[in-house]
Amino acid sequence: MKCIVAKPAPMRRMPQIAHVDVNCFYASAERAFDPSLEGRPLVVLSNNDGCAVTRSPEAKALGISTGEPWFKLAPRAKEWGLVAKSSNYELYGDISARVMELLGRYSAWLEVYSIDEAFLGVKGEPDQLLVLGRRIKEAVLRHVGVPVCVGIAPTKTLAKLCNKWAKNNPAFGGVCLWESVPPPVREGLMGRLPVDEIWGVAGRLAKRLNAMGIFTVLDLMHADPVAIRGKFSVVLMRTVLELRGTACIPMEEERVGRDQLIFSRSFATPVTTSAGVREVLGIYSQQASARLSKHGLQAKVLTAFAATSPFRNQEQAYPTVCVRLPMPTADPLLLTRAAHALLPKIREGLRYAKAGLMLTDLRPTGNQPPLEPFENRHEERGIGPLLEDVSRRFGRGSIGLGYAGVKSGLDWTMKRNMRSPRYTTHWDELPLVKAA
Amino acid sequence: MGVIIGPRVIDAGVSLLSVLISPVAVAAGFPSPAQDYFDGRIDLNAHLIKDITSTFVVRVTGDSMEGAGISDGDELIVNRALEPRDGSVVIAVLDGELTVKRLRITGNGVVLQAENPRYPDIRVPALSELTIWGVATRCLHHV
Repeated sequence: MKCIVAKPAPMRRMPQIAHVDVNCFYASAERAFDPSLEGRPLVVLSNNDGCAVTRSPEAKALGISTGEPWFKLAPRAKEWGLVAKSSNYELYGDISARVMELLGRYSAWLEVYSIDEAFLGVKGEPDQLLVLGRRIKEAVLRHVGVPVCVGIAPTKTLAKLCNKWAKNNPAFGGVCLWESVPPPVREGLMGRLPVDEIWGVAGRLAKRLNAMGIFTVLDLMHADPVAIRGKFSVVLMRTVLELRGTACIPMEEERVGRDQLIFSRSFATPVTTSAGVREVLGIYSQQASARLSKHGLQAKVLTAFAATSPFRNQEQAYPTVCVRLPMPTADPLLLTRAAHALLPKIREGLRYAKAGLMLTDLRPTGNQPPLEPFENRHEERGIGPLLEDVSRRFGRGSIGLGYAGVKSGLDWTMKRNMRSPRYTTHWDELPLVKAA
Repeated sequence: MGVIIGPRVIDAGVSLLSVLISPVAVAAGFPSPAQDYFDGRIDLNAHLIKDITSTFVVRVTGDSMEGAGISDGDELIVNRALEPRDGSVVIAVLDGELTVKRLRITGNGVVLQAENPRYPDIRVPALSELTIWGVATRCLHHV
């Protein structure tokens, strides 16, 4: 038996975390296919065209705030040149999936944090990391057509903070690396940032912190972590530690956001068969269903994806599908069936390292007639697909079931009067290019 | 619940989806002589699309590219990741609209050409002043 003498390991730099976030995501996705919107004030409206959920910088400059109801904005829209779009979840879901696929090529450690942001584990010297950040920014803009900013730091909290700086300070050119910002500059920036601007500190918590004399992010960084744990929670103590550069918020595998639910994880051993992926999707669908029920929510759009490992010397594949569910649902069977739409795209023999589900267009359960059992019974006779086909061809509301269908449309179907075409998911709605 | 066909289990519930079934023998039948040669049907995505993440399909309106075999109503497969070169058919942003043209990069500058004599060339001082949305790789021409 040979005796192996351990050599001293070379000095290793700690892995860093890159936070990538699409700028004004919904507005940027609209602009990617309609360049006439470039430079114009643009708002994207919530479900049923209720209120502004995304504002372009031009719309922000007009003083329009998030959540402002459309009926208040509409009378002045013409005078402002303001364009409003209904939420186009099919488009946003597909663009999001494309961005995430692309980001997955830069790191095996990818946490899809929301529809428009992700954390990536990255390694390298500071100059290499800056180059990597710029490459990611350029690639997403060129390949998918939406602008992103990148923040790179030793912890998630600092990475998000750096991203904010990259967004708000043109001098960074959209990429901010914590290490390359001189400490006095960091402290100056943190000292000017109100404490509720940091990830994990919301309004009420900020008020309580203010009462303790903690007004800025810098104040919070200097707070005693143990005292913070005692007075508040271990969660806020983690934020303090993260601000000091100690990574303590682990990678998470699922998350319920305001308007999306994401399940994504890397496999311990690669999955090489469609049957394997099917199994994983089934498990995620059930988890997602349970999570939706727990929060009293139903989903209307499901995106399923898988990805091969970016590091293996092998063929790469990033299959994805976006399925608009026939009705809002939290039913595990319906979600599983929808997720199976990914399976025909899974190539046997490739080594898939990751798969996931994203549910979007979430709405509260309850404001919907109990149609599901009825729909299900008829699905087996092919009526579901037939209805879908007819409404696709002749428009929503052209055919429906029993009392529920025709004329006025159901009360739970969404009003999307100003929706742009579903450019990337519907053959009849492809972007038009002029040959003139 | 499933129907067993060859080695695969097909859920009765996935009737909407196209499931690839290799032509293997059912139990008690004769093995198909083609069984060992079946690698799956031709998948147009695999052949026509190099990078699915950066590839989009657009529809052409107008007849200015007839000379390149691109007619009104045809679909183009567009890869946004490709570097536009001299001679590429590109989707360029002109006056806020996506427009398909032949890109010419010459010593005298950049020209966006139509492939139809009825449409004039558009001269651009430099490539950097032009927003190229993507490069067309295939035309799905309706015959």
